[in-house]
Amino acid sequence: MEQFVQQLVNGIMAGSTYAVVALGFGLVFSVMRVVNLAHPEIFMIGAYVAFVVITGLKVPGQGLGVLAAVALFVGVLLVAMLATGVAGLVLERLVIRPTRGTYILTPFIATAGVSIALQNTAQRLFGPDPVRVPSVIPPHTFMLSGVRVTSMQLTTFLTAVAIMLALRYYVHSTRWGRATRAVAEKPDVAAACGVNVNLVSQLTVSIASIMAGAAGVALGLLYTSAAPFMGLLFGLKSFICMLVAGNRHIEAIMAVGLLLGVVEAMVTGYVSSNLRDAVAFALLLAVLFFRPQGLFGSYEV
Amino acid sequence: MLLQVSGLEVAYGPVRAVRGVDLEVRQGEIRAILGANGAGKSSIIRAIMGLVRPRGGTVAFGGQALHKLLPHKVNEWGIAWVPEGRQVFSTLTVHENLLMGAFGRRNGQATQARQEQIMDMFPRLRERRTQLAGSLSGGEQQMLAIGRALMSNPRLLLMDEPSLGLAPKVVQSLFDLAREIRAGGISILMAEQNARQALRVADYAYLLEVGEIRGGGSAGEMEASETIRRVYLGG
Repeated sequence: MEQFVQQLVNGIMAGSTYAVVALGFGLVFSVMRVVNLAHPEIFMIGAYVAFVVITGLKVPGQGLGVLAAVALFVGVLLVAMLATGVAGLVLERLVIRPTRGTYILTPFIATAGVSIALQNTAQRLFGPDPVRVPSVIPPHTFMLSGVRVTSMQLTTFLTAVAIMLALRYYVHSTRWGRATRAVAEKPDVAAACGVNVNLVSQLTVSIASIMAGAAGVALGLLYTSAAPFMGLLFGLKSFICMLVAGNRHIEAIMAVGLLLGVVEAMVTGYVSSNLRDAVAFALLLAVLFFRPQGLFGSYEV
Repeated sequence: MLLQVSGLEVAYGPVRAVRGVDLEVRQGEIRAILGANGAGKSSIIRAIMGLVRPRGGTVAFGGQALHKLLPHKVNEWGIAWVPEGRQVFSTLTVHENLLMGAFGRRNGQATQARQEQIMDMFPRLRERRTQLAGSLSGGEQQMLAIGRALMSNPRLLLMDEPSLGLAPKVVQSLFDLAREIRAGGISILMAEQNARQALRVADYAYLLEVGEIRGGGSAGEMEASETIRRVYLGG
C-alpha cells in the first residue's frame, strides 16, 4: 500500500509537467486550430536557458540557503519565460500566421520545420549529449506520512500548479481570456464584437510558449539535464494527452496529464522502468481508438 | 447618409456572389435587402462588416471608407453584427456574451450600465444571466445575439436573416423590436427572406437576385408592385 501511495505521489509530481505542456498544445489548437509542432522545442529552450543562466552565474552546487535558492529559481524561471514568450511571438508572426487558413497541414509542416531547426541549433550550440543542469534547489527529502517527496519534486509540482491556476484564472476571469474563449469558438463573431483576432492569436501562442518554457526549467532541474531532443518524447506524450482529454475543458487536459504521470509511475514501480513508455503509449492509443473525440470533449476540426 | 455601398463586388473564387451592388442607409432608417436563399444577401452583410474582402467597390460609413478594414475596426466605427443563425458563444454565459458585445469599449462602468439597459429590454436574459448561452432556446438566443450587438452602442445594426428558424409569434416580436431599436436612434440594415414581415417595418427595401439589385423602393411602393407581390409575397 505504501508503495502504491508513493508511486501515486511520484506520478502526480511528474504528471504535472505533462499537464502544463499539454495545456500549451491545447490552448493553441483550440484557439487557432493549429498544431504547433515546435511547442516541445520551446520546452527544450526553457531547459537550456536554465542551463545557461545557472552555469553562467557560476552558482555553487551546494550551500545555498533556502531563500536564496528559491529566489534564484524564480529568477531563472522568469528569464526562461521571457525568452520563450518572445520565441512564441516570433513563431506566431513569422511562421504560423502566414501559413494559416489555406491548407490545414501547412502550419503543421511549417512548425515541424522550425522544430527540426531548433533541435539542430541546440545540437550545434551545446553538443548532442545531455548537459548537466545544476539543481539550485538544496536537496532535501520530506517525509509526509510515510511518503517520500524530494524538494525538487515539490518545486516542480508547485511551479506547475501555479502556472495552471494562473492559466485558469486568465481564461475564466479576465477580459482577454474571455475574448480567447470567444475566438476559440467563433472567430468571425468575436472579430465583429471588436476583438483583434490576430492579437489574440499572438497572445495565445506566447502564453503557451511561456508555459512550455517554465515546464522546461522545472524538468531540466528535476532531472538535472537538458538535451537537444528532450522535447521529442515528452512533447509526443503531452500531445497525446491533449488528444485524449478532448477540446472542451482545460481541467480535462490537466487531469489526463496527471493521470499519465501516475500510470508511468505505477508501471515503473510495479513492473519495469523499461516498459514505462510502451505502456503509456499503449494506453493513450487505446483510449483514442475507442473514443477518438477524446474522453471529455469533442474536436470539431 | 450613414452607410453608402457603391459597386460592391464579392466573389468566392470564380463565383461572383455580389455583382456591382449599390445601396445606402440613412440615419434613423430601417432598410431591408430582400431575396431568396443564395441571392447574396449574407455576402453583402459580411462585406460591410469586413469579414470578407470585396473584390471591388467601396463601403463608406459616415464618410469613412470601411472596405479595407478588419472586422474589429469596423465595429469600432460603430457597426454591429447580428449573424445569421444567432451564433451566440455557447460556451460562454449570457452575461459573458453580453460583455463580449462591448469588448471594443474599454470603459467598465459604461459597459455595466449598458448591460443593465439591455437586460431591462430583455428580462428573459436577466433571468438566465449565469446560464451557458448554448442552453437557451432559439428565440432567447436571438434576443441574446441582438442584445450582444447593441452592447457596443452601434450607429448601425446589421441583421442577417433574423427571422430564420423562429416561430411566427417570436418573429412578430422580433420585428416589433426592430422598430424599438430604430426609435432609439440606431439604424438597421437587414437581410431577410421573409419579405412580408420585413416590409412591415422597413422604410425602404432592395430586391436582390443572383447578386444583383433588381429594384428598390419604399415599403409602400414594394408592396404595391404587382411583380413583387407575386414573386416575393405570394400574391
